[in-house]
Amino acid sequence: MANNKMLVSFFIASESIFFLMLILAYVNFHGDVIDGPTAENSLNPVKTGIFSIFLFASSFTIWLAGKSIKKKDHAMLCVWLLATIILGAIFIFGQGMEWASLIGREITISRNVFATTFFTLTGFHGFHVCVGLIMLSILLGLTIAGDFKGPRSDGIECVSIYWHFVDGVWVVVFSVIYLWAFL
Amino acid sequence: MTTWKLLASYWSFEPWMILICTVLILGYLVLDNLRISRAFLIFSTGVLLLLLSTSSPLNILGRNYLFSASMILHIILLLVIPLILLIGISPGIINKLSNFLPSLKVFNILGKPVVAWILGVGTMWIWHAPNLHNYLLRNDYLQFTQILLFITVGLIFWLPVFSPMESRRLSPLPSTLYLSSACLSCTVLGILITFANAGLYREYLNPVDTLGILNFLRNDLCITPSVDQQIGGLTMWVPGCLIYLVASMITIARWYREPEENSGYRLHDAGYRMNDTNTI
Amino acid sequence: MSRIPLVPENVEPLPSIGESEGLLSWVGSIDHKQIGIMYIIATLVYFLIGGLEAILMRIQLAHPNSSFISPEIFNQLFTMHGTTMIFFVVMPFLIGVGVYLVPLMIGARDMAFPRLNALSFWLFLFGGLLLYYSFFTQSGAPDVGWFAYAPLSEKPFSLNNGPTYWAIGLLASGIGSIASGLNNIVTILTLRTPGMTMRRLPLFVWMILVTSFLLIFVIPIITAAFFMLLLDRLFEANFFNPASGGSAILYQHFFWGFGHPEVYILVLPAFGIISEVIPVFSRKPIFGYEFVAASTVAIGLLSLGVWAHHMFAVGLGNVTNAYFSLASMLIAIPTGVKVLNWVATMWNGKLRFYNPMLFAVAFIIEFVIGGLTGVAVASVPIDWQATDSYFVVAHLHYALFGGSLFAIFAGVYYWFPKITGRMLSECLGRWHFWLTVIGFNFTFLIQHILGLVGMPRRVYTYPDMPYWGTMNLISTIGALILGISVLIFVWNVIVSLRNGDPAGDNPWNAWTLEWATTSPPPVFNFDRVPPVRGRRPLWDLAHPDMPDEK
Repeated sequence: MANNKMLVSFFIASESIFFLMLILAYVNFHGDVIDGPTAENSLNPVKTGIFSIFLFASSFTIWLAGKSIKKKDHAMLCVWLLATIILGAIFIFGQGMEWASLIGREITISRNVFATTFFTLTGFHGFHVCVGLIMLSILLGLTIAGDFKGPRSDGIECVSIYWHFVDGVWVVVFSVIYLWAFL
Repeated sequence: MTTWKLLASYWSFEPWMILICTVLILGYLVLDNLRISRAFLIFSTGVLLLLLSTSSPLNILGRNYLFSASMILHIILLLVIPLILLIGISPGIINKLSNFLPSLKVFNILGKPVVAWILGVGTMWIWHAPNLHNYLLRNDYLQFTQILLFITVGLIFWLPVFSPMESRRLSPLPSTLYLSSACLSCTVLGILITFANAGLYREYLNPVDTLGILNFLRNDLCITPSVDQQIGGLTMWVPGCLIYLVASMITIARWYREPEENSGYRLHDAGYRMNDTNTI
Repeated sequence: MSRIPLVPENVEPLPSIGESEGLLSWVGSIDHKQIGIMYIIATLVYFLIGGLEAILMRIQLAHPNSSFISPEIFNQLFTMHGTTMIFFVVMPFLIGVGVYLVPLMIGARDMAFPRLNALSFWLFLFGGLLLYYSFFTQSGAPDVGWFAYAPLSEKPFSLNNGPTYWAIGLLASGIGSIASGLNNIVTILTLRTPGMTMRRLPLFVWMILVTSFLLIFVIPIITAAFFMLLLDRLFEANFFNPASGGSAILYQHFFWGFGHPEVYILVLPAFGIISEVIPVFSRKPIFGYEFVAASTVAIGLLSLGVWAHHMFAVGLGNVTNAYFSLASMLIAIPTGVKVLNWVATMWNGKLRFYNPMLFAVAFIIEFVIGGLTGVAVASVPIDWQATDSYFVVAHLHYALFGGSLFAIFAGVYYWFPKITGRMLSECLGRWHFWLTVIGFNFTFLIQHILGLVGMPRRVYTYPDMPYWGTMNLISTIGALILGISVLIFVWNVIVSLRNGDPAGDNPWNAWTLEWATTSPPPVFNFDRVPPVRGRRPLWDLAHPDMPDEK
């Protein structure tokens, strides 16, 4: 059998470089804006922090899903996959709200370098989360249909690796955008 | 004041550093039954380099005047010296030391690749946080602690690749990944420092001119704070990465020198397995 | 030519390229051999188009103050020529020939992820088609140079849609390349036949491995840059627009952060081809296998940190320039090690100058010239004179044409028999070779001088300066000779496919595993994979008393 986990691991190494570039762009322009929207005067770290907790929790639930399939516990596998999807979706909802609020205040991607780099970085991260949610939904659908009897599944393991990666990226992005501005 | 005079003066051999270095060399000899082996000579070179670098003008310049001097010294302390020391420690010495100090077993855990990488890379990043860096610059008595910490963390970082116990080492290809990812992280930090505005580390902007050489540095050598910061960042970046590259080359050279394991095949009954790729 | 009967004679005819299974079988194929062939054919077509673009430019430049081609069209031509040759010829050919050969060379049935392999190919093909579609749009093809520097590539300097096609086409193709890189890594690490340890890998496979690591780590850099450029162009973002706080230099950092490792991606597999051809045609194992392998890793790692040598004229400061200059010159060391190894392999060998070997030897000479001019421009003061002049054009063509393309030709002559079952004509091949060498050197040698006397690159015409006209005319004549040589090559391919001598399994008496099966290989590659106890499995089989490794 081809080594799927190896593929996903090298893939996330590659995607890390992509995110590193977006982060470097953000860092490059940080502090350049004298007047106009910046991280400090436009963002709400507490609100975003709370939504972030949902994303971090979803890493925990997918880990539990991995344990369930090892124990061949089909029902709990469904439960934890569903939980992961819901938690991830809540995070995306929070991101959407934040974006809507910014756009409502006329802070769009073309406003200034902060807005450009902010929307790009959070946008691509959100896109990666959405792709993850789609994959998780496929997994959930297949599970409900009876697949993934366990104890091992490359599908579950690989999507988990990807999901943890997406989570890890958010730790860095949150620190760079929110913590760095407000601490 | 000339460059030569600058490099020739301002050497200061601290008593405690001389003491430590002597203890290290003598201790090694005692553990090794007073043999002068090749490993001992390598180890002593490392110790000598420790003594020389910390006593050199790099130390005094780095504490006050030049960020770049501090960077060069740190690279030597964190990367170069620990590597030399580690290559000079033979498995026999490790065994004898473990008999004396059972607590050395903690290095089994610290030497695991993920831990060692995070410790090494993390230390480098944390040390460059401007606030911490400035605080440490202002407090001279933390000098000794810093040097000790760098050497220790450096030793831990190099363990997965150059541990004296060969069984604890990563195999060569993962070693290259280990080193190049550390190199990448060093590069990113170097890039950030090089291209940041001058004054990232405030202490170097207007140093107190205790040695009377500030004029020489700024006007004769044209090392402004901006140039100084660039040199520092670039030294981390370029020579820093070269060290990782050389280490990687040593690892690969060792790999190719080992004889190939006999895979136990005999010519007439070998080679029948087709790799199955049943992914269709 | 001794033949070792490793594979039993076929009783039934095996599926081969000659048999028409229908176009649909190719479109839906996930077999690495078919995908490899499709890569090669597609790159040949793009090569002809890119070559045509070059010839049109050379005709325009043959005389001063010429108006054969308008400046607008000329700008599109040099942009498309560069983009095509780099992203749609050299890179996909090397990836494609790797896709064909790597599973065979490691004794595997296929790549680790055959469907992903097919995806990579189609992304490459359609990325290129999208890019070329721009020629048919109202505003035309991109005309901002193959680097597409900001802010030239953004509003208000570039109001046509060409750069958008450029960025999207390259994005698609780039994602395919990342997929190829990932696929190669997993394939090489996990599907080797037992006995083929990492230290016994054919050097071509080793080079593909290192290149694949480079691919997966540097294409994301340009992907980020392309997305940022597109956001700037389509949504008025502010990444690279200095007027709104952005940084044009940031684009250059990102572009060259990718761009420099990219040139090593373009050349390392070429080194791999040479490392296979030269030993076989010198009848000796490669000299210093370990040095070639280790120096490849060194080049790969070093290449990641020297990109700013493309930015010496940007104003980064003397300190930065100095460090990058030094680091760039260091890359000459591992490259030199390789050249020494190849030459040492040939030393005291029984040289057989069949066509692959002709191109391989020419490669060494031309690439060394390219390398030397590279070291020259790595020196900051020289670069300040030579940058954006024809000196750089000459340098890059010696490295990419005299280097990569010559190696590609060597590989084509070497592996054509394996892929098609027929030999290419030696006679036509020699015509192709000599016309290429003459044409290439006539075209580009003189451009070194043109550059040093001050002719800038990317200009559609030039004033009647002393000798500029003459030198340009010589260069154009050289280009026309090259055009003829390519036609001969294409003729050779067509004629040999129809009537070439049957090749047999191992026409060159080579030693790596791909020669241990029929030409072309059966669908399942190997009936039996020979045992691997050294770096030259077929040598060991034929000489059990003198194996490579005791």
